[in-house]
Amino acid sequence: MTLIPLLPEIDASTPFACVDGKTVDRASFYAQVMNLAAALPEQERVLNMCADRYWFAVALFAAIARGMVTVLPNSAAPEHIAAVTAEQAGLLVLGDQPENPVAALPYFRVSQLPHAAMADTPMPLIAFDQRVACLYTSGSTGTPMPHFKTFGRLQLAIQAGAERVWGAAGGACSVVGTVPIRHMYGLESSVLLPILAGGRMATQIPFFPADIASALAEMPAPRLLVITPFHLRKLLEAEVSLPQIAVILSATAPLSVELAAQTRQQLGCPVLEIYGSTETGQVATRETDVETTWQTLQGITLEQRDDELWAVGEVYETPQMLNDTVELFSPQQFRLVDRKANMINVAGKRSSLSFLNAALTGLPGVVDGVFCIPERTANAEVERLAAFVVAPTLDRAAILAGLRQHVDAVFLPRHIVFVESLPRDGNGKILARTLQALIAQHLPERS
Amino acid sequence: MAQQSPNHIEPDLALESEIAGLIVSALNLDIAASEIVPDAPLYGDELGIDSIDILEIALVMSKQYGVQMKADNEDNSAIFASLRKLAAYIREHRSK
Repeated sequence: MTLIPLLPEIDASTPFACVDGKTVDRASFYAQVMNLAAALPEQERVLNMCADRYWFAVALFAAIARGMVTVLPNSAAPEHIAAVTAEQAGLLVLGDQPENPVAALPYFRVSQLPHAAMADTPMPLIAFDQRVACLYTSGSTGTPMPHFKTFGRLQLAIQAGAERVWGAAGGACSVVGTVPIRHMYGLESSVLLPILAGGRMATQIPFFPADIASALAEMPAPRLLVITPFHLRKLLEAEVSLPQIAVILSATAPLSVELAAQTRQQLGCPVLEIYGSTETGQVATRETDVETTWQTLQGITLEQRDDELWAVGEVYETPQMLNDTVELFSPQQFRLVDRKANMINVAGKRSSLSFLNAALTGLPGVVDGVFCIPERTANAEVERLAAFVVAPTLDRAAILAGLRQHVDAVFLPRHIVFVESLPRDGNGKILARTLQALIAQHLPERS
Repeated sequence: MAQQSPNHIEPDLALESEIAGLIVSALNLDIAASEIVPDAPLYGDELGIDSIDILEIALVMSKQYGVQMKADNEDNSAIFASLRKLAAYIREHRSK
């Protein structure tokens, strides 16, 4: 059984985080992790609801040290928390808030512990296969699925990511992230990357452009900003003064070439776009404004098996299937042909095309119908949908009213095109190229 | 969050309506500006505004009124609690 140190061997006096304006070094971080680990009651699983990234990290690594699985809900929505609680028995909430964020469960406040002298505690060794985190996939139809991560595989993935990101930045960075820490992207890039690969972390999760600027300015160069395309666009538009940024990471929605190029021009740094998912973690990167080809991270390859695309490597317990259509140039290089063929993301809200299509075709009076995502405009980070509908007795308003009962308003089609029939193949599928032809024929080219 | 003590300053109706117009056009909402109820929550189901939209609104406020929103010096859930609260905040902090 392979054993790995809980935290990497890095000079204890190396600055690690800036907490309440004070620099915390590696030794203090380690001491706080072990202090909490010693204080936690016996528990199989914990729900880490810390709001601050530093305390989130302390709680995560204390739980790992104690062999506890950290459960990470993907939203604070009461119905999701209730579903997670029902599924995972015996949860203890860990938080840094004065009040328990999940009132129905027992609460342990991690940020108010008296300091015990922990300096001499030997570094715990963690089994490669120890399950340390349970994340939830976004879920397209209201049923988020749990996904477990093991310590050793997370380590491998983070080292592979660090090689790419630190390489682009010229060294280990100070990391500022605007993205949720309980989602895979934020967990990997804004929490685990600085901890496991020798970086420094900003403790706050800034939201407004001015907050992002001050979070960056608090930390020494080189700096890494972990963000989404939408947030990046707003940051550029706000024209706030920013310190030098070495690299920006972008994920969760496609990054346009134009936004990547504008960022390089305005901020003087490259944007590395990450391709990945909750199940796979980070798989590949590209510099979107200068390359169309994605390069997988060290140790990860893609394989096409019949119609399915699989991510393979030591970082996975079992190969993971991907939903996208790609053109593979080699096991490490590919072009995305049809991104998120099924999943769509409108302003951060996720649904699946199959769910939306089922809602559409289920409406009384709709004979057939299909949703599509028209060609994106260059500077729109928010996708708006369109639909082709066969419904001789209905008008646009009736279809919108019907859909409103079933789907979130952001997914309502901006354009509805009535057609006499939809060309489906022998399997009843509408081929992607058929849909593209319909879009070209019927939908206005947006400027 | 504790209830705010009632604000005895008269609301600036012209500014409220101007901001409502900016919100509707920035977010491309499918309603008229006059339909935003000044005391109703901006967040939530009624307008379907989420945190992404709040960022958009913050950007428009900085462009229009020179107010740079920051999370750490003000309580944002209070500022964005309603159109009236937002207008009152802008009136107090605007630089243009």
